[in-house]
Amino acid sequence: MSTTITAPAKTTPASTPAVTLPKPATVFKNLLRADLTTQWRNRRATFLVLLIPAVILISWKGLIPKFGSAFVLANCITVGLNAIGLMGYTNSIARDRDKGVFQRLRITPAPRWTIMVSRLTVQLLMIAIVTTILFIVGYQVDHIVMQPSGYALAFCVAVAGGAVYLSLGQVIVGLIHNAETVNVVTRLVYFIFIMVGMFGSLGMLGDAINKVSNWSPYGTVERILADALNNVWTSTTTMALLATIGYTFLFTIIGIRFFRWQSSK
Amino acid sequence: MNTHPVLQVENLDVRYGNFQAVRQVSFEVQPGEIFGLLGPNGAGKTSTLSAIEGLLIPSGGTIRVAGYDSRRQPLYARASMGVQLQSTSFQGELTISEIIRLYAGIHGVNLSKERLAKILDDIKLGDASGKRFGQLSGGQQQRVSLVIATIHNPTLLLMDEPTTGLDPQSRRQLWERIEAMRDNGHAILLTTHSMEEAESVCDRIAIIDHGQIITIDTPQAIIDDNRDRPEVIRASRRGRITLEDVFIGLTGAAIRS
Repeated sequence: MSTTITAPAKTTPASTPAVTLPKPATVFKNLLRADLTTQWRNRRATFLVLLIPAVILISWKGLIPKFGSAFVLANCITVGLNAIGLMGYTNSIARDRDKGVFQRLRITPAPRWTIMVSRLTVQLLMIAIVTTILFIVGYQVDHIVMQPSGYALAFCVAVAGGAVYLSLGQVIVGLIHNAETVNVVTRLVYFIFIMVGMFGSLGMLGDAINKVSNWSPYGTVERILADALNNVWTSTTTMALLATIGYTFLFTIIGIRFFRWQSSK
Repeated sequence: MNTHPVLQVENLDVRYGNFQAVRQVSFEVQPGEIFGLLGPNGAGKTSTLSAIEGLLIPSGGTIRVAGYDSRRQPLYARASMGVQLQSTSFQGELTISEIIRLYAGIHGVNLSKERLAKILDDIKLGDASGKRFGQLSGGQQQRVSLVIATIHNPTLLLMDEPTTGLDPQSRRQLWERIEAMRDNGHAILLTTHSMEEAESVCDRIAIIDHGQIITIDTPQAIIDDNRDRPEVIRASRRGRITLEDVFIGLTGAAIRS
């Protein structure tokens, strides 16, 4: 190792202007516009997110007399919420992290919360769209008609329910730092949730699985959605809502605690 | 207005677990100066740059950008700098117009359609405004990255190996743009593996190795101060001592991983 030789810096007169920070609202507006454009350009993926619950809703028409309209519609909305949180949000975060998009955003004066809140806002919009379209498909194809207050309450509950899956996606993308692994894990979790949730709640997998399913993130969301659509609110609904909030809280803490802005490569 | 150097790095330490990547690094960059940070692979250049950019939290030392402490006032520090990363990636679904508009907006710069068109014309991409970033050539991508890095007229511009992968024409054009920025009073801190470029373009350079700065001065002064060292003479291949000879002499000829 050589000795340290230090020369004085060039003595050009310095004149550093004071910096004005952009307003967080301005930053957020620009991020949101970009994220909405990105979502719009990914219309095919959005269509696929909607397709599965729509197909289930149509194919379960025959189950409505036995299980009720609210049960069928709630299940399909839950599947849609699952797809948005696990497939849409999680994979887009993992992909952009892997590509260095977040790295580029982090070296701007954008507060970090604006980056994530913008992404989440787009997903909440997706939840609203998917829920509305499933209401329409249910009405048009399965002739499901609920009270207006039931639709309104279910719409609000869908947002709360969607938060569980967004936060679960945050856990996955927080704990796993490789985009390809995230993709595989989200598909696996999505598949397990659908299989255990749907068939478990139908009682096809036995009582034990039925109980687990009822109090899983799938079952609690499905329960509050069904009760909201039916316009009934019991102590079980309240318990399911509290469980939903608890899951969201827990997943959010874990997801944020372990989240890394850079991928592991 | 203040009279601080645009960038002050004092006793910077960066650790990755038990490995100390940067050790007590100190330097300043003044307005109107191109400052080169040179070093072999793994010497600590990118870690130093990442700490300045706020992408990693240093384990010690202070960094001030335009007088703003990068840990206490990170948003102000980041708003004062423009950064061109080694491998830049933007949202793949957005066109370059949309990307430029996004980053302008994030910096609070309101871009009219006319101004955006002029910016794109200036970098010879007027016809490519609807293209995605991934559809551009390496030189075009560098030009877009530089526009985005400087869209808010930052006092400090950080560039991590900006000419890597560029053809001579694109490289020459990039240096002309960087020199024009220097002449307008911007401070530029860059890393490069090209000793010829550093020698011809940088006003001062620092050579970093094993996480420590081993010399800081003008390229010519570094050559003059080291031309008689036996290891530098051994490294000389052209009959005259160049910055590359001094660099090899000071950091060793062994290939770094």
